[in-house]
Amino acid sequence: MTLAFGNKRAKYRVLKLPDSHFLKALGLRKGTEFTLECKHPFKGPVVVKVGCRCIAIDYDIARDIEVEEVS
Amino acid sequence: MKCHSSQNQKPISDEKIKILLMGNPNVGKSVIFSKLTGVHVDSSNYVGTTVDYTIGDVNFGRQQGVMIDVPGVYSLEATSEAEKVAVSLLEEGADVIICVLDATHLERNLDLAYQLKEYPIPIVYSLNLVDVAKRQGINIDAKKLSEELGAPVIPTVAIKNTGLMDLLRTSMKLAKEERIPRPKLTEEERWKKIKDIVAKVQTKVDSGPTFIEILEDKTIQPWPGIPLALLVLIISLGVVIGGGKALRALVLLPLVRDVIQPFLTNLVSLVVPPGIFRNLLVGDYGILIIGIEWPFALILPYVFLFYIVFSFLEDSGYMPRIGVLADGLLRRIGIQGGNIIPIMLGYGCAVPAILGSRVANTYKERIIVAALVSFAVPCASQSAAFMSLLGDRSILALASVYLLSILVALLVGIIINKMVPGKSQPMLLEVPNLLWPDKDAFKKKLKLRMKNFLIDAEGPMLLGIVIASVIAETGILNEFSRLIGPLVEGWLGLPKEASLSLLLGIMRRELAVLPLLELNLTTLQLIVGSVIALFYLPCLSVFAVLAKEFSLKVALLIGLATTTSAFLFGGIINQLGRLILGVM
Repeated sequence: MTLAFGNKRAKYRVLKLPDSHFLKALGLRKGTEFTLECKHPFKGPVVVKVGCRCIAIDYDIARDIEVEEVS
Repeated sequence: MKCHSSQNQKPISDEKIKILLMGNPNVGKSVIFSKLTGVHVDSSNYVGTTVDYTIGDVNFGRQQGVMIDVPGVYSLEATSEAEKVAVSLLEEGADVIICVLDATHLERNLDLAYQLKEYPIPIVYSLNLVDVAKRQGINIDAKKLSEELGAPVIPTVAIKNTGLMDLLRTSMKLAKEERIPRPKLTEEERWKKIKDIVAKVQTKVDSGPTFIEILEDKTIQPWPGIPLALLVLIISLGVVIGGGKALRALVLLPLVRDVIQPFLTNLVSLVVPPGIFRNLLVGDYGILIIGIEWPFALILPYVFLFYIVFSFLEDSGYMPRIGVLADGLLRRIGIQGGNIIPIMLGYGCAVPAILGSRVANTYKERIIVAALVSFAVPCASQSAAFMSLLGDRSILALASVYLLSILVALLVGIIINKMVPGKSQPMLLEVPNLLWPDKDAFKKKLKLRMKNFLIDAEGPMLLGIVIASVIAETGILNEFSRLIGPLVEGWLGLPKEASLSLLLGIMRRELAVLPLLELNLTTLQLIVGSVIALFYLPCLSVFAVLAKEFSLKVALLIGLATTTSAFLFGGIINQLGRLILGVM
């Protein structure tokens, strides 16, 4: 599934993501585990928590990030 | 012609130790900078870019140095303007680098830390925010980290001054030391190394969320984040309007009207005989009368309070949250949520707002932000003038002018979004922690902003007032009023003296409002006058910055569109108002 369709408060692991240096610099790399904090209405950003920091990811980018749920 | 301090680089003396202060964004770099530097601080513009950096003197014992607060970056890939500036500053050389690491997010910060080691400059690492990390159950072994990085690591809590002297002492000691750069690692090698280091030096205990963490969580969620943001904006507006009004009514106006003006009038009357010259100085529109009252008693208190509130929201880390919350809405008008920050800055002054939109956005977004700000966002000086004009007479009228400005802003966004091809930049940002702003950093920022306002905005305003005095006191105004009388009196329903506003409004936005104060207008006329002033020509500085940032054609188009809208909306409101009130 992609991040854009994830559920609030669920934990995910990144399987595949666009080749963006900035995503990596923000700590999102293949294998990174994070919590989906919230999704904003009207296709607004998806906010995830990596470690102790929140990152807001555009809906269109979130659609390109493949994730799997972790327990 | 800038409401913004921006000067070209100054040469730094060779005897002074040059310190580059570097780090990711939002790691407390600016707090460290303001604590370590003295009173002499300047904002500079890096040649050929719109990126500003701050430079300040720093002394330790007999050693003298200068510290450059390099724009915060995540890496040195030189893909953004800020990264390009950071790389250029590194290539220009320095005696020592202070690299600030955020202890709450060590892994991500180590990427930049490692890239810096590829330069032949000694580095000292400041492990900042160790108190916040501790609260979050994170413990980092600074000694082990220092061994791994091969450079000193000083734990710091910048906001409480902890560790800063040690940091400075170590920097001064390391400065001028020879350092052999480490060979460049590939991205994969770097991340592998970073993972290993974090595993070795960091331990984490899961503890319950603190109050701040709960607040951080709530303010980023749509619910209750959006209502909370509206509440914050209403409170901010209350502080600026209420506080400004109180300052004006209780302190500044009595001081100006009862003490300064009578004193100056008496003084001039003793020296200058009655006639045009005396009127020019102390007549109704006298330079010494309105030249003091308008800028200092009517405008300054609101601008001062606006920058206090804006800087507070900025330094507390709340502003990017508003950007995230507004993203869904702003996307409808073709811009990313983060643009809410330059738009809000536009309520202070349009010039830094238009410049501020440049760093991270596409051309399309920049045009939209620039047009929105030029069209429908009143600057602090103009807002102050509106408050003076409408605040005492009708709060409802004041609210309707602002409501109209928001509606028009949305309309302008929708139209330009359809007209200009291109896409907006997707949002990808780290939401900073919420912090209580540091007193010293806050004071320095406020001082710099007020200095810029006094130099860049008050100067042209005083010049405008001098012109106003000459026009009003010499009869030129009557000629001009006769010429545009049909438009002003017929279509807009204003007295012919209001043409002074139109004449002066070309120079400064608030000058399109302030002359109306003296005219004893009805509430309808006040609303019409305010609406015209709101949409009228952007001031000369804004016009200049639009021409510089885009092109003369864009500046002229925006100017033409705003002026046409001003007369169109003003006239329609007047005609409708008169129809409803039955005075036609």
